[in-house]
Amino acid sequence: MLTSNSLFIFFSYALVFSSIMVIVAQHPVFSLLFLVSCFIFSSFLLFLLECEFLAFLFIVVYVGAIAILFLFAIMMLESKLSNLSKNTIKYFPIGVLFSIVLLLPILNVVNTFFIDSSAISDSFYVNNYQNWYDLIDSTNDVNVYGQILYSYFALQLLIAGLILLVVLIGVVSLTNSYEKETKQQSTFRQLSRTVKIF
Amino acid sequence: MHTPITEGLTSVILLQSFTVFPEYFISISAIYVLIVIVIITYNVYGLLLHKALSECLALILLMACYLIFNDYDVLVSNTLSFHHSIINDYLTYSSKFLICLFTAFYFVLISSSLKEQKLTSFEYLLIILLSTLGLLLMCSSGDLLTAYLSIELSSLALYILAAFRKTSTYSIESGLKYFITGAVSSGFFLLGSSFLYLNSGSIYFDDFITLFERNKWSYYPNVPEEDMDPHFHLMILIYKHFHLEHLIWKPWPDGSPLIDYSFIEIGLAFIYFSLLIKIACAPFHLWSLDVYEGSPTSSSFFFAAITKLSIFVLLIRLAHTCFVASSSNWHLYFIIIGVLSIFVGSFGGLKQRKVKTLLAYSSITNMGYALVALGTLTNTAIQMLFFHLIIYMISGLCTWSIILLLRLKTKKNDNKYSKELGDIALLRKSNPALAFAFSLTMFSIAGIPPLIGFLPKMFIFLSALMMGYYMVIVASAVLSVIATFYYIRIIKVVYFENLLVGKLYYPINSNNTLLISGLIFSLIFLFFNPTLMQLLFFDILQTPSTVSFYCLTKLG
Repeated sequence: MLTSNSLFIFFSYALVFSSIMVIVAQHPVFSLLFLVSCFIFSSFLLFLLECEFLAFLFIVVYVGAIAILFLFAIMMLESKLSNLSKNTIKYFPIGVLFSIVLLLPILNVVNTFFIDSSAISDSFYVNNYQNWYDLIDSTNDVNVYGQILYSYFALQLLIAGLILLVVLIGVVSLTNSYEKETKQQSTFRQLSRTVKIF
Repeated sequence: MHTPITEGLTSVILLQSFTVFPEYFISISAIYVLIVIVIITYNVYGLLLHKALSECLALILLMACYLIFNDYDVLVSNTLSFHHSIINDYLTYSSKFLICLFTAFYFVLISSSLKEQKLTSFEYLLIILLSTLGLLLMCSSGDLLTAYLSIELSSLALYILAAFRKTSTYSIESGLKYFITGAVSSGFFLLGSSFLYLNSGSIYFDDFITLFERNKWSYYPNVPEEDMDPHFHLMILIYKHFHLEHLIWKPWPDGSPLIDYSFIEIGLAFIYFSLLIKIACAPFHLWSLDVYEGSPTSSSFFFAAITKLSIFVLLIRLAHTCFVASSSNWHLYFIIIGVLSIFVGSFGGLKQRKVKTLLAYSSITNMGYALVALGTLTNTAIQMLFFHLIIYMISGLCTWSIILLLRLKTKKNDNKYSKELGDIALLRKSNPALAFAFSLTMFSIAGIPPLIGFLPKMFIFLSALMMGYYMVIVASAVLSVIATFYYIRIIKVVYFENLLVGKLYYPINSNNTLLISGLIFSLIFLFFNPTLMQLLFFDILQTPSTVSFYCLTKLG
């Protein structure tokens, strides 16, 4: 990991920058695109930590499914941006106050607990050693996740399945309506339309 | 070239350590009910199953009660199962039993009012059952991951319950509010857990006890300060697993704590923050008023009466079992938040005319008393906290069911969305027995002596008195007098309102009448025989914070 120190630092700063831009950006589409870049940078970080499966999962699930879904939802909604800048100025001082009050103790504690001031970590590019045993991968990422999930965390896996069941039932019952006023396409008319593309 | 591992890890779940049979039963029966009802109603549109289904679910929960009662030896074996992520002790046992029992009562009580509320679809009841499953798992969770997942299971179900009446904008609004607040609080829970994991390298409660609790009492490291490993906590864990602790520990001369708790406290602060949002205490209560008022009455009945106990069980585990060593830094905040909740609950309800908002304020006040007990952190105070929560659940069941079951007879079919205090004016004339029951419940919540509501309040004050928090007691006693005003005003509206004509109500069916009169009887009976309650909480602190927890034979 230490060889990739500079890359790690670069991606962490990019992640922090884009996550700030998510909040600062005025237009919701822009802030969503910054959110996508957040996910991509964090998946790079995971990649540098050698969690390849999680990194790909991040991109596939968050960028591929969730963020794009948000993007469509935002594009379909009518956005009113006139009041937004007024609100930003109104809430700016109190927000800065609270963020400082929260951030200072955290940074202070992180400083005292996690600063490693040895000569090895101070140098920017580390003269590292290669552990040859690590290069012989006896198993891969997905295999390990499967082994642990289905043995040690079997109960938690089942609870996660039940959460999905609850959400499924809730979504179906909240969005499905049997009343006549809802717009439903009639299958016959849909199929009997003539093709207008050609 | 490498060959994949084909053997796999050895299974850690043995049948003798499968201690979640009640939850297993409930989840299997929920899935079974779902499949059966989908098959039944596949072709028959508009089949009303709600009454039969709610009684069926009450039966399922009563059977789960029996399972819990029957498995006493396993569930109170003071062991950890499922690779340390499920705790089996008396606290788990009695809280699970109470939640199952009261939710079964709840299902019976709401069964006849669902049609009037237009909540006849079967998903509503099924979601309540799955939410109860989440609450049960929350009581027994022994690590932060299981706790998080069970909180999510129960609260995702609650968001759906709040938004369930699609045609009403109030209901949709309250569901959205609840969802946003809950999502923020879940995010904070995860942030706090990641801080705890960062510091300790573990998410298991028993590892927290080993790391942060045990060394406070009589041990300190046997190695000099400068030779101490930076990965000190990890070392303790490794030594613990090989039973070599005597190499690194020796008695600490003056009993001062070893570990710098400042990093733990930041993580704990986030976790407490998220849990206090979930139970709606005073600085974090603003969502609860709108949500209780806006969502359907049977949903807010569930939010107010059933869901609070298991979050408090989780708080007791964190505050009193795992991190009591660092309590000198944060227990005062619990007391401050508690007094603030009592203040807001007492003064907020004074001018309120809407019944559901009034009951929400009353719930905030009661959570305030519970938090004062939690901040006191003595063993008696924790027991009295549990006592107070049981009584809160019983009186909540009485109040909300009476509010729910009072259906006005009106000429047109315009059922008002929410009840106001004027709707129950002169209840004495039309239904004297129900008026008497309602006023008894109000007296009990207010804490008037010949009723059970008096005892837990007095014991909480006494246990705070023993720790010397005089100002807290004076303030909360004075504020509880103010809160008594609006409880007694309800009784005045019911009995002595200066009107010539009262309102007429539909009669309540015999099942519900029996259940309500049993609950009201328990309010009086338990005052004269409080030792019955003692059975439910006498042992809840047996395992935690003693060294015996550490030397358990761990199943599985």
